[in-house]
Amino acid sequence: MKKLSAMVLATALATPVVATAADSEDPIIIPIHNWSSQIVMSHVVGQMYEEMGLNVEFVTTDSQAVYESVRLGDVALELEVWEGAFGHSFREALSKGGLHDAGDHDAVTREDWWYPMWTKDACPGLPNWQALNDCAEIFATAESGGKGRYLDGPVDWLKHGKERVEALGMNFVVVNAGSAAALWAEIGAAEPDMRPVVVFNWTPNFAEAVWPGEFVEFPTWEDGCDSDPAKGPNPDALYDCGNPADGYLKKAAWDGMPDKWPSAYCVLTKLSFTNPQIAEMAKFVDIDELEPEEAADEWLAANRDIVDPWIGSCT
Amino acid sequence: MDSDTPVISAENVWKLFGPSPEAYLSRMPAGRSFEEIRSDGYIAGVKDVSLEVAKGEMLVIMGLSGSGKSTLVRCFSRLHDITGGAVRIDGQDIMSLNATELIELRRSKMGMVFQSFGLLPHRTVLENVAFPLEMRGQDRHARRERALEMVRLVGLEGREDYFPRELSGGQQQRVGIARSLAIEPNIWFLDEPFSALDPLIRREMQDEFLRLQDMLGKTIVFITHDFDEALRLADRIAIMKDGAVEQVDTPDKIVLDPATEYVAKFTEEVDKASVVHASVLASDGVPVDGEPVPGDATILSLARRLVEDRSDAIPVSLPDGRTGAMDRKAALAVLFGERE
Amino acid sequence: MSDSTYVGATRQGAEAASVGAIRTRTVVLTLFGAAILLAVLKPWIPSALVRLPEGAILPWADWLDAGFSWLQNDIGLIHVTRTISGWLGFLTDAAANVLYGKARWPRLEALPWSVVAACSAVLGYWLGGWRLALLAGGTFVWTALMGQWRWAMETLSVIAVAVPFGFGIGLLLGMLAWKSRRFEEALRPVLLVLQTLPFYSYLLPAVIFFKVGPTAASVATIVYSMPPMILMTIVGLRKVPPDVVEAGRMSGCTRWQMLRHVFLPSARNEILVGLNQVIMLALAMVVLTAFIGMPGLGAKLLAMMNSFKLGRSFEIGVTIVLLAVTLDRLSKAWVVKQPEHFERGTPWWQRHAFLLLGIATFVLFYLLSQFLPILDEVGRRQSLSRGSEIDAIIKGALGISWVKATTEFIRWFFNIWVLIPTELALLFLPTFTVILAMTGIGYLLGGWFPALIGFLFFAAVAQLGWWDRAMLTLHSTLTAVLLAMLFGMPLAIWAARRARASRWMIFACDTAQTFPSFIYLLPAIMLFGITPITVILAILIYTMVPVVRYTVEGLRGVPREITEAADMAGATRWQKLWKVEFPLAMPTIAVGLNQAFIFAFFMVIIAAFIGTRDLGQEMQRTLAGTDLGKNFTLGFSVVFMALSLDIAINSWARKRREILGQ
Ligand SMILES: Nc1ncnc2c1ncn2[C@@H]1O[C@H](COP(=O)(O)OP(=O)(O)OP(=O)(O)O)[C@@H](O)[C@H]1O
Ligand SMILES: [Mg+2]
Repeated sequence: MKKLSAMVLATALATPVVATAADSEDPIIIPIHNWSSQIVMSHVVGQMYEEMGLNVEFVTTDSQAVYESVRLGDVALELEVWEGAFGHSFREALSKGGLHDAGDHDAVTREDWWYPMWTKDACPGLPNWQALNDCAEIFATAESGGKGRYLDGPVDWLKHGKERVEALGMNFVVVNAGSAAALWAEIGAAEPDMRPVVVFNWTPNFAEAVWPGEFVEFPTWEDGCDSDPAKGPNPDALYDCGNPADGYLKKAAWDGMPDKWPSAYCVLTKLSFTNPQIAEMAKFVDIDELEPEEAADEWLAANRDIVDPWIGSCT
Repeated sequence: MDSDTPVISAENVWKLFGPSPEAYLSRMPAGRSFEEIRSDGYIAGVKDVSLEVAKGEMLVIMGLSGSGKSTLVRCFSRLHDITGGAVRIDGQDIMSLNATELIELRRSKMGMVFQSFGLLPHRTVLENVAFPLEMRGQDRHARRERALEMVRLVGLEGREDYFPRELSGGQQQRVGIARSLAIEPNIWFLDEPFSALDPLIRREMQDEFLRLQDMLGKTIVFITHDFDEALRLADRIAIMKDGAVEQVDTPDKIVLDPATEYVAKFTEEVDKASVVHASVLASDGVPVDGEPVPGDATILSLARRLVEDRSDAIPVSLPDGRTGAMDRKAALAVLFGERE
Repeated sequence: MSDSTYVGATRQGAEAASVGAIRTRTVVLTLFGAAILLAVLKPWIPSALVRLPEGAILPWADWLDAGFSWLQNDIGLIHVTRTISGWLGFLTDAAANVLYGKARWPRLEALPWSVVAACSAVLGYWLGGWRLALLAGGTFVWTALMGQWRWAMETLSVIAVAVPFGFGIGLLLGMLAWKSRRFEEALRPVLLVLQTLPFYSYLLPAVIFFKVGPTAASVATIVYSMPPMILMTIVGLRKVPPDVVEAGRMSGCTRWQMLRHVFLPSARNEILVGLNQVIMLALAMVVLTAFIGMPGLGAKLLAMMNSFKLGRSFEIGVTIVLLAVTLDRLSKAWVVKQPEHFERGTPWWQRHAFLLLGIATFVLFYLLSQFLPILDEVGRRQSLSRGSEIDAIIKGALGISWVKATTEFIRWFFNIWVLIPTELALLFLPTFTVILAMTGIGYLLGGWFPALIGFLFFAAVAQLGWWDRAMLTLHSTLTAVLLAMLFGMPLAIWAARRARASRWMIFACDTAQTFPSFIYLLPAIMLFGITPITVILAILIYTMVPVVRYTVEGLRGVPREITEAADMAGATRWQKLWKVEFPLAMPTIAVGLNQAFIFAFFMVIIAAFIGTRDLGQEMQRTLAGTDLGKNFTLGFSVVFMALSLDIAINSWARKRREILGQ
C-alpha cells in the first residue's frame, strides 16, 4: 500500500493533469485459452472491468507459454492456474520473477484417473483402485499386450501416471494423450458401444455434463507423496498416492498490474469463483452453444449479487 | 571536336567470352586463330577489330550467323565491356566512362534497335517508345508528344495502347525502331532491324530510312543478312567471320575486289552489274571522246551503251566534275559476270 | 577415322562411368556392410557405439539457454524486437479496426459483412468472370451465415498484415540473393533451417521476443511463409530476357530505374506466384499460430475441439479451406490477367467500369445494411451452423459396426505387424549403424558431399542427446513417406493419363493441404485410438499431397514426342511407363518426395497433439517451464535429420536432371 501511495504521489507530481490515481487507459490484456470455462470466466472478468470504465482486450495463447507472457507484462493476468496442469509452469515463472500469486478461487480442482459411468457395469468394484487393477484386462487394447491401458494427460501437464503404475504395482500400461481434445476423442469413441475406458480427467470441466463419471479412488494424498518415498503405501516409491482431491485454482497477476491498474487489480484479488459457478459458465458454451461473450452476459446478469460487491469494494 | 574525328573508332578491339578473358588475352600468343582460342576454352566474339565510322556515314556489317556482328555492336555501345583494345565515341574512350557518364552518353547520343526487339512486356506501345525519354526525366506531356510522333513515323498509329504481345513480329520490330529514335540519337545502332518485316513494308522502311538519313545525317551502324539491303543502304560494308573483320570497303570494291575467299563467296550471288558504278571503273585524267555517262550510273543501266559503243574507253563524268575513262572491256566483263 | 575416335570416346566414357559405378558400389557396400556388422555384433561391441554414453553428451541445452539469455538481456535484442512488434501491432490494430471494429485507435466501425462479400464478388468478376465472382462472394456469404464472420475477420486482420510483409521482405531478400551469389549461398541454409525447425521451437521465442498476440502471430506467419517468395523472386529475376535488359540499359536507365522499370515488371509472373504461395502458407498457419495469439478461426477451432464439438470445428475447417481457395484463385487470376488496352476515345467510365461498379456495390450494400441488420451482422442464433447435427452424423458413422470392424482390423494389423515391430527394430539398432547407413544413403544418392552431411548431421543428432526419441520421429516420417508412395503413386499414375482426373487430383491435393490438420486428428483418434497408426495417418494426409502432385506433374511433363516415339517402337503400356516415362519424370518426383519428407517432419511434431513418444512429445513438455535450451536441442535434432535427407535427395535429383539434360 505504501508503494502504491508513493506511486500515486509520483504520478501526481509528474503529470499534474491527472488529478487522481486512475487506472491506465491502456487496455488490460486478458489471455484466453482453449477450454470454455476459462474463456467465459475471462469474458466475465473483462466485462466487469469494462463496466468500471477500463479498456480490455483478449488474446488467445497457449496455456503453458502464457506464464512467460504474464512475467513480461504482455498480458496482465491469468484467471485459471490449475495446480496440477500448470503449477509447474507457474512456479517456474514465479522463480524467474515478474508475476505473482493473486489469490485462490474458492473452487477446488481435482485431476486424476477417471472413468465414464458405463465402465462401472463391466467392473463393479470401482471406484476402488485395487478393484480397477483386478479388471485390468477389460481395459486391454490390441497394442497393450494384455495389460490394461490407461490414457494419461498430455506430458506437459506433468502427470505421473507411469510412476504411479509402477509404485502401486498395477497391471496397466500408460499412454499419454497429446491434448485434451485427444482425451475427449477417446471417450467419445468408446461411448457408442459402452467400451470400458479409464482416462485422465479433471473437474471442473464440461465433460462432467456430457459423460457422467467418477474418479478412481487411490490411496489418499499425503503431503510429500511426490517427494518422500516413505509417504503412501509403498515405502520405496514416490507417487504412490492419488492426486490431492482439493487442488488449488489460482489467479496470477503481472507485477506491474497493481501500479498500472490499481482498481482492476483490486477486483482481481477479491474475485473468486466456486466449482458450480465455473461449471455453469462452461455449460453455457458447451451445452447451450452460446458464444463466450453471450455466456458471460448471461452469467453476469444472473449473478449480479456476487460480482457487484467485488466491484463496489474497489472503486 | 573537329569534324574529321571519326564518330566511332575501334582500335584492336577484342571481346572474349570465357572464365577469365583478360588474363587469357594478356598471355595469349599473337596470331592465335579462332579455333585455337576455342580449344583453350574461350569464344572470340570479336577478334582484333579496327575500323572507323565517320560522321553521317552508314556502315553495314554482314557475316554469317555467329560471326560476331551483334557482339561488335554491343562493344560499340558498351553493352559488353571489351576485353582488349579501345573503342572511342567522338574521340572519347568509352571504357574510361563511369556509370553516370555512360548513362548520360546513352541518354543523349545513342539509339539501338535489337535483333530480338527487347520490348518491355508490361508497357504499351506508347509507353515503350517513351521509355528512354521517361528514363531521362522528360516531362509527361513532352514525351507523349514525341512518342506519338515516332509511333506515327513507323506506321503504328491507332495501336499506341497495344501491348507487345498483341502485336505481330514486324509490328514489334517497328516499336523497337520508334523507341530507338525517340531521343534523336546521333549514333544509331541497328541489329537486323528489318528482319521481321514483310517485303513491302521492308522496302517502305528502307526508303523512310534513307530519307531520314538524308535529312538528319545520323551516324549509323547497321547489321543485316540481306545483301541487297546492304547495297541499297551502305556507304561502306564490313564483312565479318569468326569475330574478325575480313574486309571493310565500299559496296563496289567489295564486289569487284573481294579481299578473301570468304568475302568472294559472300558476293558470289550478287548481280555485280547492278552494284558497280561507272565511276569505280573509270581511270582518271585520260580524255576520251563522246558523251560522258554519269559516274553514279550502274553498269547495268549502261548495258546498251556498252554493247553498242565500239571504242575502248567510255568517258565518265566523275563526282568532282572531271571526266574519266572507263575501260569498256572491263565493264563488259562486269556486265556478263565474268571473273577476271 | 572420325568414326573410330567416336567409338573410342564412347568406350572411354562408358569405362569411366562403369569405374565410377564400381567405386560407388564399393563405398556403399562397405558402409552398409559395416552398419549391418555393427548391428549383428551388438552384444559384443563397445557400448559407446550402441548409444553415445551420457558423459559424452555436451550440455547443449544449458549453453543454448545461456545464449538466449545473452541475446535477450545482455545485448538487449528484446528491445529491438519489441520495437518492431510495436509497429506491427499498430498495423494489425488498424486492419482489425476496419475488418471487425476492434476497440482501439482510430475506432472505425466494422464493415458490414454484405459489403465485403459483394465487393469480393465484384473483384472476382473482374479478375476471372462469374465463376470466380461466385466463389469469392459465396465464401464470404458462407462465413457470415455460419456465424463465423467475426472470427474470420480477426484471422484476416492478421493475414492482411503478415502477407504484405512476407511478400515485401521475401522480395527484398530475393533481390539481394539475385544480386549477390554469396548472399544467396548464405541465405539458402538459413531458409532450410527455418522451414524444418519444428513449430514448437518458434512458440516460445515468438512469445518472448514479439509479445504474445497478433504481433507474435504475424511474425511467425511471416517467417514461415516467406521462403517460397524468396525463391520465386530469384527465379523470376534470373529469367528476364537479356535483350530486354539491354534495351533498358541502352535507354539510359540508372540501376534503380533498371530494377523498378525493367526487372521487377518483367519478373511479374514469378513474383506473383510467390505471393500466392505466401498467402497459402499464411492460411495454413492459422491454427498453429493460435497458440501464440493469432485470434479468430484457429483459436475457435482449438476451443471447439477441446469441448469435443466435431461439427462446428468441421465448419470452421471448411471456412478456412474456402478462404484459402478463394484467395488462391483470386491471386492466380491476377497473375494470369494481363493489362488490357482500350480503344482510343473510350469514355473514362467505361475504362474504370469495374472500379465504379465496386464503389457502387460498396455504397449500395453499406446503405442497405443500415436498414437490414441481417446484412450487417448475422448473430449466433440466426446462423445456419449445424454443429450438433454434424456431430451426430460423425458419431453415428463411427459407430456403424462394419466401420468399426474395418478400423479395428487396420489398427490391429498395422500396429501389431508393421509399426511396432519396425519401431522396435529401429530402436534396437546401434547408433553407429544408423549413422553409417545414413552416410551410405547419402553417398548412394549424391556422392561424397551428402554422405559427409549425413554422417555429420546424424552424429550431431546423437550428440544432442535425444537419440531414441529421434529414431521414433524418423520412424514415423519414413513410414508415412513410404506409405504415401505406396498409395499415392498408383493413384497419381492412374490420374496422370487423364487430363480431367489430373486436374481433380491437384485440386484435391490443394484442398487437403489447406484443411487444418487439427480437424483430421479427432476423427482419426476416434477411429484408431491413440496409437502409432493414428499418428501415421495424420502425417500421411500431408505426405500424400506432394507425392501425388509431383508424380502427376512429372508424368504429364514428359514430352509428347518421346512417348509417341516409344509407342512407335512398340512399347507396351508398362514398358512405356517403366522405361520411358518414369525415368524422365524421376527428378520431378524426387522433388515431391523431398517435400513429402519436409512435410512429414513438420507434421510428426504436430502429431504430438494425438500423443506420441518422440521428439514432439518431449518438446511439448518443454513448454511447461519454458525450457528454451532443451526445446532447441530437440528442435535441431529434427532439423539435422530433415536437412540430411533434403540434401541427399536434392543432389540426386540435380544429378538426374543433368544427365537427362533438363
Ligand atoms: N554472352 C555471351 N557469352 C558467351 N558467348 C557469347 C555471348 N554472346 C555471344 N556469344 C558468342 O559469340 C559469338 C558471336 O555471337 P553474335 O551474337 O555476335 O553473332 P551474330 O553475328 O550476331 O549472329 P546472328 O546473325 O545469328 O545474330 C557466338 O559464337 C556466340 O555464341
Ligand atoms: Mg546477332
